[in-house]
Amino acid sequence: MSEVEHKETPVENEEKEYVEDGKNKFIVKCKFCGSRILDKKSAKYITLEKDLPLMQQDNNRKEGEIQNEPVNEFYHVENMYTFENIGFTHTVANCKYLSCADCDAGPVGYYDNDTKHSYVAISRIVHA
Amino acid sequence: MAKTYDYLFKLLLIGDSGVGKTSILFRFSEDAFNISFISTIGIDFKIRTIDLDGKKVKLQIWDTAGQERFRTITTAYYRGSMGIMLVYDVTNEKSFENIKNWIRNIEENASADVEKMILGNKCDLEAKRQVSKERGEQLAVEYQIKFIETSAKDSLNVESAFYTLARDIKAKMEKKQEASNPAGARTGGHQLRNEPQRKPTSWLSRCSLL
Ligand SMILES: Nc1nc2c(ncn2[C@@H]2O[C@H](COP(=O)(O)OP(=O)(O)OP(=O)(O)O)[C@@H](O)[C@H]2O)c(=O)[nH]1
Ligand SMILES: [Mg+2]
Ligand SMILES: [Zn+2]
Repeated sequence: MSEVEHKETPVENEEKEYVEDGKNKFIVKCKFCGSRILDKKSAKYITLEKDLPLMQQDNNRKEGEIQNEPVNEFYHVENMYTFENIGFTHTVANCKYLSCADCDAGPVGYYDNDTKHSYVAISRIVHA
Repeated sequence: MAKTYDYLFKLLLIGDSGVGKTSILFRFSEDAFNISFISTIGIDFKIRTIDLDGKKVKLQIWDTAGQERFRTITTAYYRGSMGIMLVYDVTNEKSFENIKNWIRNIEENASADVEKMILGNKCDLEAKRQVSKERGEQLAVEYQIKFIETSAKDSLNVESAFYTLARDIKAKMEKKQEASNPAGARTGGHQLRNEPQRKPTSWLSRCSLL
């Protein structure tokens, strides 16, 4: 039993090739235009479950309906000025969505108005 | 945590409704069939990192709601902003005339040393033009503010306008720092960081964009 208690950071994090010392090992860029979003080693890797609206909403969806998908892996940015280039949308339900500052693709993550922390969805960016 | 940048400047886009403030901040998208989720909600502000003479400068650029009339805009609106882009639409005479009202509003409500710049937007619409470039330039000379015509649609001069405004804010801050620390020579090691002596900015060179 004591073996289990001594286990520190989850082993799975160590296995992610893009994580080093719990941070993003590489530069984080926009998938579509390559705009630089985060410098390397500037944000913490975390896992949490969050529904994010799809980047491309189906034009035939019902009016007012928003299509979401669950996202599990994020880079956690405590200070918004850590970002190299990023857009913040107007507030929706106490959060702002993050978008590419150059091509406006998004959401690439979200910002929590209460904590003032930002979360970049790893599935929606590329590493470089 | 150590700061990873040298300067942070908050910039504001203001001007009459419809002049193109949002389009200047948001990338102009012709693709009406693919209205994205982001464009439906709209952008509040953007953070951009630029390099100015070897310094890392963060720009936080805010859009403002167009329905707001300059008469209703008060101090809180301008709080913390160090640079203001005054935008008019070259195809809309009224928006140009209102620049004077916006400037007066800034003088009454914003910090006295806020840097300003005038943008004559939509310069791609030559056939619909109501305000000549010369009139824009004249107004700029009158207020001693820099001026440039832009097209958010063609991404013309938009980026360089932000660089210009940021560079002016930086120069002003450095001048202030020097003034508050005139004995730079005595601070020894720190002197190196004061770097090449910049030429005093004459009023003429300030208007190089004209
Ligand atoms: N041709 C042309 N059209 C432009 C340009 N900039 C903006 N527009 C159009 O002008 C209209 C108004 O632009 P907005 O960016 O919404 O104007 P705004 O200043 O944000 O307006 P408010 O939010 O009401 O204050 C839109 O239809 C834009 O497509 C430009 O440079 N050229
Ligand atoms: Mg607008
Ligand atoms: Zn992009």
